[in-house]
Amino acid sequence: MTNFAAFSEPWAELSWRPSASAQVVSLPVERLHVETIEAWDVPLPVPTPVLTTKIVPAAAKPRRLTVAIRSANIKTVSYSFCPPAVVPLSYSASQQTSSETNSSALRRELHTINAGVTRLKPPADTIKLEDRLYYLLQPSLETLISEGSLEFPCHPFHYQLEGVAFLYPRVAAVLADEMGLGKTMQAITAVRLLLHAGEIQSALLVCPKPLVSNWQREFSLWAPELPVAIIEGDQAKRQWQWNLADVPVKIANYELLMRDREIVTDPRRSFDLVVLDESQRIKNRAGTTSEVVRSIGRARSWALTGTPVENSPDDLVGIFEFVAPGQIHREMRPRAMGRAVADYILRRTKDRVLTELPPKLFRDADVELSLEQRQTYTMAEEEGVLRLTQMGEGATIQHVFELVLRLKQICNFDPATGESSKLERLVADLEEVAASGQKAIVFSQWVATLEVLTERLRRFGVCQYHGKVQPKKREGVIEQFQRDKRKHVILMSYGAGSVGLNLQFCSYVFLYDRWWNPAVEDQAINRAHRIGAAGPVTVTRFLTIDTIEERINQVLEEKRELFDTIFSDADTHRSLGFTQQEIFGLFKLRCPQGPIRMAA
Amino acid sequence: MAKRDEKAAPALGFLTVIEHEQHGLFGGYLVLNLAGRPLEFHCTAPVKPNRAQQILYGPTLEPYLYGEQIGQALVAKCVHDVLVLCTDRPAALAVRGFVPLPTVLVDAGTEDHADESNALMRFLFGRNKLAVPVARLADRELVCERLQKVGEAFDLSEPFGRIRAAIEEAQRGSARAAA
Repeated sequence: MTNFAAFSEPWAELSWRPSASAQVVSLPVERLHVETIEAWDVPLPVPTPVLTTKIVPAAAKPRRLTVAIRSANIKTVSYSFCPPAVVPLSYSASQQTSSETNSSALRRELHTINAGVTRLKPPADTIKLEDRLYYLLQPSLETLISEGSLEFPCHPFHYQLEGVAFLYPRVAAVLADEMGLGKTMQAITAVRLLLHAGEIQSALLVCPKPLVSNWQREFSLWAPELPVAIIEGDQAKRQWQWNLADVPVKIANYELLMRDREIVTDPRRSFDLVVLDESQRIKNRAGTTSEVVRSIGRARSWALTGTPVENSPDDLVGIFEFVAPGQIHREMRPRAMGRAVADYILRRTKDRVLTELPPKLFRDADVELSLEQRQTYTMAEEEGVLRLTQMGEGATIQHVFELVLRLKQICNFDPATGESSKLERLVADLEEVAASGQKAIVFSQWVATLEVLTERLRRFGVCQYHGKVQPKKREGVIEQFQRDKRKHVILMSYGAGSVGLNLQFCSYVFLYDRWWNPAVEDQAINRAHRIGAAGPVTVTRFLTIDTIEERINQVLEEKRELFDTIFSDADTHRSLGFTQQEIFGLFKLRCPQGPIRMAA
Repeated sequence: MAKRDEKAAPALGFLTVIEHEQHGLFGGYLVLNLAGRPLEFHCTAPVKPNRAQQILYGPTLEPYLYGEQIGQALVAKCVHDVLVLCTDRPAALAVRGFVPLPTVLVDAGTEDHADESNALMRFLFGRNKLAVPVARLADRELVCERLQKVGEAFDLSEPFGRIRAAIEEAQRGSARAAA
């Protein structure tokens, strides 16, 4: 029992009291009904027994299908290759001059610009599958350039890499790109890759003498790590240079080969590669030059030329006597010749591969002879023709040539008075050239004409580049012309200035008189119109109306179709050189003898 | 080409399988030295699964053919010491179960390989997007370590183009020979 009294005091403080009477709640309780089992003494019923019957299926065993999963019998074919040592010589990265920064930038550039992949393609005459696969499995050129240790001053054009890929695997090749597309760079890069891959150990490059310094410069630009020896000097020095074993690249000029004939054709001496630049120099198979270069021991033969056919298909036969003797012969029809050389020659033109190159604008300056010039000209022509007529059967091709040259010179300048309609027009044009700070090249076939022009054009700042300028000084002339802002005109002869020079800083080219061969004219024009040209190149071709120049021009236009005859499907065999008939025809004279060919 | 004993030289292996609509599957295995030059090339005659294989192998048919059959047969032919086995076909990664070489998928970031995204561990080596099977995570370290010998600038996807060109050439050669 709880004693509530003990809590009396606290309860009193809280002013709360329990209620007097507690509430009572009633909860109903239901009765749970529990079932009970009753009658335990009643027996359980016994279940009825179950009868079973065994049924045996009457059908046979179920059919089954077994599918054999055999392992495929994999047949494999294997090829082994033996790549040369990666860096076989000692001129690798240590001699590189370009900076790593430039290299990295170039790699990035290559990856973005060269979306395509340039692979080496085996030449058509590579028969063995193993050999064909060897080339196909080589790294792409883009890979070699971007990943390798080789430095490039700038990224090559895609067509240039294709040119390298064409040269690289070939034992015999003619790179016949149009002038200005970079044959030099392509050849140097191919040589460089071959040397670094260990595919070749020695290369001889032969070029015209004026171009030796150009090749040397290009090698230092595109393959700075390669030791290059220029064969020059007295006989003892040359002998020593020829025997330099640790210099993989040697450069010699054609003239020098004649003098060192015994050395270079020594059977004990052999080059892995011989490259002929301006290979049209050996178009005459009977010439000494051709004979000597064909005698050089070599494993690979490459020819570089912008004009594989200058006058006749025979020119190409001459080049192929060096590249792949017997591949073509003189009796072949043009179409057959084209098929036979198709895999050996690579030729691209600017309009096809260099769409970004500035345009070349031709402007024919047809001028009337001055009064004095016309009188002199008419008199000379009448006298000349009369003399030829009187000579009858005794008239020779030389006699006609003398008359042609005489008349062409009169077209340039009147010999008595020095008057010249062409000069007046040229001066007017050069005023504009000089005023705009541009530079121009003036070509003539005569040094005498160039010397006269030098005096008459002095106020424009004139440089001369022709046969009378010593070869040692020519490099300096070009450099001065390029750097000196007061020099606006360079006077060049076709012979000295039409090949190998890079004058892409010139915007104007003037052909003061016309050469016999359009290919030579094109070479001259392309000194300015080439890779690196900043703007359009304007070519002005002077032509005096109603003169021998006009008649020669008609023949030149026909000769411009020469390449189409060889490299297209045309199957008409045309005479491509000047025939005696054509030369006599310039004066409407009858040819006294049968047709002969004339070298331009 | 002349043969030379270069077995000791380390090399990289590149395995791919080309599907030809008419002939079936062609396997190609290119072994390069560390400068990217070819040392060996092995290719298979065309392999064509029959209908039963297609049904019974189901989705495992490609790994079976690419890896176990073609890949294993090609790798077995190699005589050089291969550091890393590269493939551009995810199904060919199955070869790893049959060869003792760290195997890596090249160009793993492309959409073609999106289906395998859950089964692959992706990583970069230089500008190469690579991947190894999740089940072979240890290969990643091995791959990176061994690829250091060729450098990060090495384009690991480029050799597969060479294999395709070579297989086409070999196939043309076979066709010419048959004719």
